[in-house]
Amino acid sequence: MNKSNAYKVIGRPEPRSDGLEKVTGKAIYTVDVALPGMAHAKIMRSPYPHARIVRVDCRQAERLPGVYAVITKEDQRGLGMFGAAYKDQTIVAVDKARYVGDPVAAVAAVDEATAEEALALIDIDYEELPAVSSLEEALAPGAVLVHDFASSGGELMGQRYETPKEFAGTNLCYRFSYAKGDVGEAFKKADQVFEDTFTFPRVQHFSMEPHATVAQVEEDRITMWAGTQEPFTLREHLADIFKVPLNKIRIIVPYVGGGYGGKLAVKTEPLAAALSWKAKRPVRLVHTVEESFKTVTRHPARVRIKTGVTRDGKLLARECLIHMETGAYADAGPRVTQKAGYRSLGPYRIPHTKTDAYTVYTNTVPAGAYRGFGTLQVTWAYESQMDIIAGKLGLDPLEFRLKNLLKKGELYTPGDTPVDCDLEEGLLRAAKAIGWGERSERNARGKGLACCMKDGGGTYKVSSAAVKMNSDGSVVLLTGTVEVGQGARTALSQIVAEELGVPFDRVMVAQLDTDVTPYDVNTNASSSTVVMGLSVQRAARDLKRQLLRHASKLLKAKPDQLRLEGGRVHGGNHSSLSLPELMHKVFLSRAGEIVGRGAYQDIKSKKAALGSPTTFWEISWGAAEVEVDADTGEIKLVKYVSLADVGKAIHPVMCEGQDEGGVMNAIGHTLLEEMIYKDGQLLNPNLVDYRVPSFTHLPKDFETILVENQNGPGPFGAKGTGEGGLLPVASAIGNSVYNAVGVRLYDLPLTPEKVWRALQAKKTA
Amino acid sequence: MNKKIKLRVNGKKHELEVPTSRLLIDCLRYDLGLTGTKEGCSVGVCGACAVLMDGEMISACLTLAVMADGHDITTVEGLAKNGELNPVQKSFIQYGGFQCGICTPGQVIAATALLAENPRPNEDEIKDWMMGNLCRCTGYYKIIESIQKAHQFVK
Repeated sequence: MNKSNAYKVIGRPEPRSDGLEKVTGKAIYTVDVALPGMAHAKIMRSPYPHARIVRVDCRQAERLPGVYAVITKEDQRGLGMFGAAYKDQTIVAVDKARYVGDPVAAVAAVDEATAEEALALIDIDYEELPAVSSLEEALAPGAVLVHDFASSGGELMGQRYETPKEFAGTNLCYRFSYAKGDVGEAFKKADQVFEDTFTFPRVQHFSMEPHATVAQVEEDRITMWAGTQEPFTLREHLADIFKVPLNKIRIIVPYVGGGYGGKLAVKTEPLAAALSWKAKRPVRLVHTVEESFKTVTRHPARVRIKTGVTRDGKLLARECLIHMETGAYADAGPRVTQKAGYRSLGPYRIPHTKTDAYTVYTNTVPAGAYRGFGTLQVTWAYESQMDIIAGKLGLDPLEFRLKNLLKKGELYTPGDTPVDCDLEEGLLRAAKAIGWGERSERNARGKGLACCMKDGGGTYKVSSAAVKMNSDGSVVLLTGTVEVGQGARTALSQIVAEELGVPFDRVMVAQLDTDVTPYDVNTNASSSTVVMGLSVQRAARDLKRQLLRHASKLLKAKPDQLRLEGGRVHGGNHSSLSLPELMHKVFLSRAGEIVGRGAYQDIKSKKAALGSPTTFWEISWGAAEVEVDADTGEIKLVKYVSLADVGKAIHPVMCEGQDEGGVMNAIGHTLLEEMIYKDGQLLNPNLVDYRVPSFTHLPKDFETILVENQNGPGPFGAKGTGEGGLLPVASAIGNSVYNAVGVRLYDLPLTPEKVWRALQAKKTA
Repeated sequence: MNKKIKLRVNGKKHELEVPTSRLLIDCLRYDLGLTGTKEGCSVGVCGACAVLMDGEMISACLTLAVMADGHDITTVEGLAKNGELNPVQKSFIQYGGFQCGICTPGQVIAATALLAENPRPNEDEIKDWMMGNLCRCTGYYKIIESIQKAHQFVK
C-alpha cells in the first residue's frame, strides 16, 4: 500500500474549520471588534512629500465637543522609535514629514465624523523641502536627504541590519553583497555577455480588510486586537516604544482579512495605543483604502543583470546590480533587499557570481514585506534574460534552461541547504502542459516558460505550539500562526488529528492571544506548514506519549504496543479505551487536561550566506500562452500552467488555492497594477484608478499542478507554499509576448500602451 | 437631519431613526450589529458590501439607509434558514471558495442573486455576473467552481 494512502486525515480536503463562520458572516475580524466606551481615531497625514514641521496648534481640535485626545509630535517625547529593520519611525512625524501620507497628528473622538472634523481644526505650519520621488532622483549627486542621520540599524529575526558608514550623506541605507568565483575573469572568457536592465513597479497589497487596530491601554497594560501577521513581534515593538515588559502587552488576533506581507512588523498600531493611553478609553483605528495605500507597498526596483555564457549555452558568470526603493522609512527594506540580492542567481549553475543590492530611501510610501519578499523583482529580470540569451544563441528556451538547471542535491551557494527538488522534472511537466514545441493555433499567439526558486520558510525561525486534551477527549490546538486565509487552522488541525488518531472535527484551534498562545515569530515566508507544522506535530506527539504512558498502566501493555486510532487507545488482546475513558481514569473524575508541547528553531551557521541555512527551497514553474492584439497592444491570457513543489499536500484544495491566488496576484503586477507618482503625490490610491485583477482577468484556461515527492522537511514530507505561484508569472508572460510578436519588454506592468508602443517601434526599426 | 425609517432585515422588522447621511452599510453594521457585511473599497468597486434589497443586489456602501426605508434587505446573516446554510454557502465550504473570508459575504450574496436568476450558469455567465466582486486571495477559480456546483446542494 502506498504510504500516503495510509493517512486518515492528511491529504484529504477536510471542510475548512473556518468555513461556517466565514460563509455566514459570523467570523469576527478586527474591523468588527467593538468595546464599551470605544473611541474612533482618524489620522492627519502630510500633504507634502517632504516638509519641515514648524508649528503644530491643536488647541481648537482639543476643544471640539466629542474629542477625547489629540496626538501630535509633542507626544513622541519619551517614546522609543520603531520600524521592522531600522528604528526610523515615530508615532507621528516629529521634525519633518517625509512623504505624502506621513502621519503628522491623530485624533480620538466619539465617532469618526467628529474625529474628521477635529482634524480640520489642527493647524500645522510646514516649510516645504525639495523631495526625491524616484530612485534616479534619490541617487543623484547632491540629492536632498530623506533622513539626516548618518547611520541606522536594528535587529530583525535574529539578524543585525545596518547602514554602512560610507553611506552617510546619501539616501542609501543598506547594502547586501555576495560573490563567488571571479566574475571579471569569467566575463573575459565568456563567448557572449548580455547586459539588461529591468524595472518593477510600485504595487500595493490591497488587503480587503484594511489595517485595523483596537487598542485598550489601562495603567501600564496594553491590550490590542490587531489585524497583524506577527503579534509576537508587534508585542516586542510596543514594549520598546512604550518601555514596558512583554508581559504587560497582550495582542489578540481575530480573523485577518488578507495580509500578503502588508500586515507584518509594525504600522499604525503604536499610534492607536498612544491615542488610547491619552483618551483613557479603548480606541479603534481603521484605515481607509487610501490610507493603506499610503502605509506600505512592494518595493519598486531596478535590476541590472549581466550574464556571460559560452557558445554552447552554458552559464559562466552573472553580475547583478539591484536598487530597491524603500520609500520614506526602511520598514523591512534591508531584509527584502538582502533576499532580492541572494535570490538573483536563479535556479541555475553559475560558477562565478557577484551581486550588490542596495536599499534606497525616497520621499514616497514606505515599502515593506509583500508576498515573494524581494524575489519578484529579480525573477522578472533573470527569467526574461534567459529567453533573451537563448534567442541570441539560437537555442530553444527550454533546452537552454535544461542545460543549466541545478540538480537535486547540488548547492545553491556553499553552506546553504542543497537543492531539495528535481527542477528538470518540473520544467518538463510545465512545458508539456502548455504544449511546448507545438505551434499555437493562431497568429500573434506565443508561449513562454519560467522556472524560479527562493529560500523558503523564513530565515531563522523560532516557533512553538501546544496541544491540549480535555477531559472529554476533545482537543485544543494553541498556535501562533495567524489565520490570514491560507487555511493554517485547518492544515495544522489535520496534523494534530493524524498524530492523535482522532477525527478532524475533534480538534479546535484557540483564539490567538499572546498571553496564552505559545510563541511564534511570524506568519510569513510560506513557513507555516513546515515551521509551525513541525512545532504542532511535536506537540501532538508529546501529548500522545503522555497519553500512551498513562494507557500502558491501565491496559497493562508497553507504550510501543499501543496505538491511537479512531479516538481510542488500542492495546494487544483487543483491549482498548476511549479517550474520555482514559482521561477519566487518569484524573479519577471528569476533570483535568493533558498538555503536549512542541517547538522548532532553525540553526545558525556562519557558513551560510544568510547566516542560517534555508528551511527548504520553494520552487515553482510557470508556462503561459498569450495572444497579443496588434491594434491595441492588449495581452490576452490564453492559458497558464503553474507547478508548485509542495512535498506533500496536507490539504490539496487549499494548496491549489494558494497557487491560484498567487498567480492571480502576480497577474496584477504583470498586466495592470502600478502606483503612480507625480510631483511627489500618489495619483491613484483607490480602487477606481488602481485596478486589481477581477473575474474578467482570468486566463481562459488555467491549470495548477502540485508536485508531491514527499521531499520536504515538514510533517509528512510537506514543504511550504504560498509565494511560489507568483514568481514565474511576469517572465513567463513577458516571454510569451516575445514569442508571439517579437517585442521584448523590460518594464512592468505590460500595459496595452507599452506593448503597442513597442510594436510601433519594431515596425519603424 | 434625522429621519425615521422602517425596514425589514433578514425577515425582522426594524424601526429606527437615522441621520439622512447614514450609509446603509453603517446602519447594518453599527445600528443593527450585522457586521457580516464588509466595507472593502468604499466606492462600490469591490462588492464586499453587497446585500439584497427586495432580492436585487446593491452595494450597501453606496446606498443611504433612508433609501432602504420600506424595503426588504437580506444580508449574509440572513441566507441560512433555520440554521441550514443555503446551497451557495454549502458549496463555498465544500469547494474552497474562500480564503481570508473578508470578501466572502459579498461573494455569497452575489452568487445567491445570480442563481436566483440563472440556476445553472456557465463559466462565462459567472465571470460576467461576478466581475463586481473582487477577491485578493483565491484567484477566483474556486469561487467559480463553488458557484457552478452549488446546484448539487439544492434539495
